[in-house]
Amino acid sequence: MSALLRTFDLGYGVKVGRKEKTLVQNIHISLEPGKLVGLIGPNGAGKSTLLGLLLGYLKPTQGLVEIEGKNLRNLKDKERARTLSYLGQSRVLHFPFTLQEIVEMGSYANPDGLGFPGKSEKARARDALRYVGLEGLRDRNFLTLSGGEQQLGLFARILVQNTPIVLLDEPTSSLDLGHEAQLLEMARELALEGRVVLTALHNLNSAAEYCHRLILMDKGNLVADGEPAEVLSQERVEKSYATRVRVGNNENTGSITVTPLPRSTNRGPGKVHIIGGAGSGVTLTRQLYLWGISLSGGVAHELDSDAKLWRALGIPLVEVPAFSEIPLQTLSQAHQMVREADLTILCSFPFGRGNRGNLELARAAAQKGSLVVLDEVSGTCQRGFYAPGLKEDFDSLQSENPPVSYEECLETVKKVVHEVAL
Amino acid sequence: MNQGKGYEPWFIGLSLALVLTFLGSLVWGAVSLPLNQVFEVFFRPGARIENVERSLRQAYTIVWHIRLPRALAALGAGAALGVSGAIIQGLFRNPLASPDVLGISAGSSLGAVLAILGGLASMHPLGISLSAFLGAVFAGAVVYSISRRPEGTHLLYLILAGLAVSSLLNGLVSGILVISEEYALSQFIFWTMGGLDGASWVRVLPPLPFIGLLLIGSILFAQPLNVLSQGEEQAFSLGVGVEKVKLIFLIVASTLTALAVALAGPIAFVGLMVPHGIRLLTGPNHRTLLPLSALGGGSFLLFADLIARTILAPRELKTGILTALIGGPYFIFLILHHRREGLQ
Repeated sequence: MSALLRTFDLGYGVKVGRKEKTLVQNIHISLEPGKLVGLIGPNGAGKSTLLGLLLGYLKPTQGLVEIEGKNLRNLKDKERARTLSYLGQSRVLHFPFTLQEIVEMGSYANPDGLGFPGKSEKARARDALRYVGLEGLRDRNFLTLSGGEQQLGLFARILVQNTPIVLLDEPTSSLDLGHEAQLLEMARELALEGRVVLTALHNLNSAAEYCHRLILMDKGNLVADGEPAEVLSQERVEKSYATRVRVGNNENTGSITVTPLPRSTNRGPGKVHIIGGAGSGVTLTRQLYLWGISLSGGVAHELDSDAKLWRALGIPLVEVPAFSEIPLQTLSQAHQMVREADLTILCSFPFGRGNRGNLELARAAAQKGSLVVLDEVSGTCQRGFYAPGLKEDFDSLQSENPPVSYEECLETVKKVVHEVAL
Repeated sequence: MNQGKGYEPWFIGLSLALVLTFLGSLVWGAVSLPLNQVFEVFFRPGARIENVERSLRQAYTIVWHIRLPRALAALGAGAALGVSGAIIQGLFRNPLASPDVLGISAGSSLGAVLAILGGLASMHPLGISLSAFLGAVFAGAVVYSISRRPEGTHLLYLILAGLAVSSLLNGLVSGILVISEEYALSQFIFWTMGGLDGASWVRVLPPLPFIGLLLIGSILFAQPLNVLSQGEEQAFSLGVGVEKVKLIFLIVASTLTALAVALAGPIAFVGLMVPHGIRLLTGPNHRTLLPLSALGGGSFLLFADLIARTILAPRELKTGILTALIGGPYFIFLILHHRREGLQ
């Protein structure tokens, strides 16, 4: 499909003192109808500036914006407003217009008359308010509405303006979970009607969930442009946002999720090794990580959520391929970790042929006198035994090291770390 | 409050108030005239005094040569001030702004002083008005061109430039007055009090059609002003040519104020008080706010002038003193009210 909106080498700079400060540069994009496009990037990346340029409110210092092959700057004011609509971030209003009056202003650019809303414009405003679910607040003073209601009201005005190109600047910033979903759903519907809808978004998860295409900006440059899965790579997001993240998949919708990781604090004295599996160590790992304790983990199977978490947090770990048995060499690496640790914690997970080695590992720690066995009650899964001899081995282990609750385990960790510190 | 709706009763009420105060200004004064005489002479415009019955001659002269021009001046100046105040408040998105932020009073003062000293004031009855008008327009233009920047005018710069130009021009006026003769000084001070005394047809007639045209024009183009009062970025995205509309309404508002000054001298507070009060009653939509401000401003100034003429009769207070005496307390009330309830 042909592009409705195109930019060529678009750039914008302002003078700061004698120097020219570039806010946006070298932007080449083309937007086709029918797609909801998300504009993402950290604060100050130039998203709002780019939207201002696309709207024509800012005059490019370089390059140009073309709409259906025509230079945006050659369009007359009303013609432009019949082509592009815009929902900005500033909502500082000063006079107590009613919600209905505000929404009616969407029809200002109608070709006939002096811009006063007539009967059909008023009716359209009412329909738009019904669509966003604010019909009951029609005669209310706009200034007394909540931030979310104001935002939905301004979105209704966009519907009244009814343009082929829609620009939204962080439309969900003041919305609660439900309203955010509602607004993005409506934005996607606008796009599917055959419009270009470009929206700046901060929430990468919603962006990945709702947008057909993402444009990532950083320091005024276009960094990536494509489908959410292409754009939201861990490396790229971490670089642009200067934050460590974990990129995964939403278990419920299958879309990309981006989750920031807690900043690693200075690791204090005391080392704890966690023997986990099947996600049994996630809660414990997070708690000890936040306490700033040096951790190691393993042996875990690849793709196991324990392994994923350890990897994401940068915790040293020993890993084997999914469902495989633990080879001797790998096991000896794990033994090394247990030897170095002041405490080893055996989480509650089922044993089978694949992770038999972990039981040996626990025994080694027990001999060293530094083993804590977590009880089944505290864990996320039961201990089952799915190979001969395992149950007997574990029973002898737990006769010497009776399982403790999660809280008792944390107490022990504190005590050991405290002793090491002295 | 149910804004935007229910303005019709206010429209009718204010129209009625306008008619009554207008009629009152013809009837009352240093000499009160019987109502039937006023009516009788009112419908005989342009009659030669010799053809008027002897019993009606006094009434005829008072109505047609003193009170009617004066009432029209009050009506025109009040309406112009009300509308220009509403426009400036909408343009600056501030319900407490007034045309004075554009340096208009200071400019008109300078114009008046120059007319008095240069002898223009004594050469022609319109002299001081014309000069004050030109001074006001000049000040407005200077303020606008100072605050103009390549990417458009910033409202903050307009206000700052208005302040700077005002104090510069006021300084000039004071400097000129210090070295001028006593009679000029007293004539100027008298003029600054703002008054409608001595309103004659020569002085009243020229500004009125312009005021009428500008009022009608601004009411017709009220919707761009509504949209613009939402903020410039939003207005731009809705299709308003922001700089063009701003410039046109600045010109309209400052011309209206200058015309009002030409009619009545500097009259305080009407431009601030009337539109603000009307906005509280019927909401901020300029489509109703502008005509209602015209009606309200006209009635208010007619009323103030009527009080000024009658309260100490046969002596007269200056109308400007009276509007200041009413406006000051009203403003204090507004501040106290807002302090208690917050700005809307």
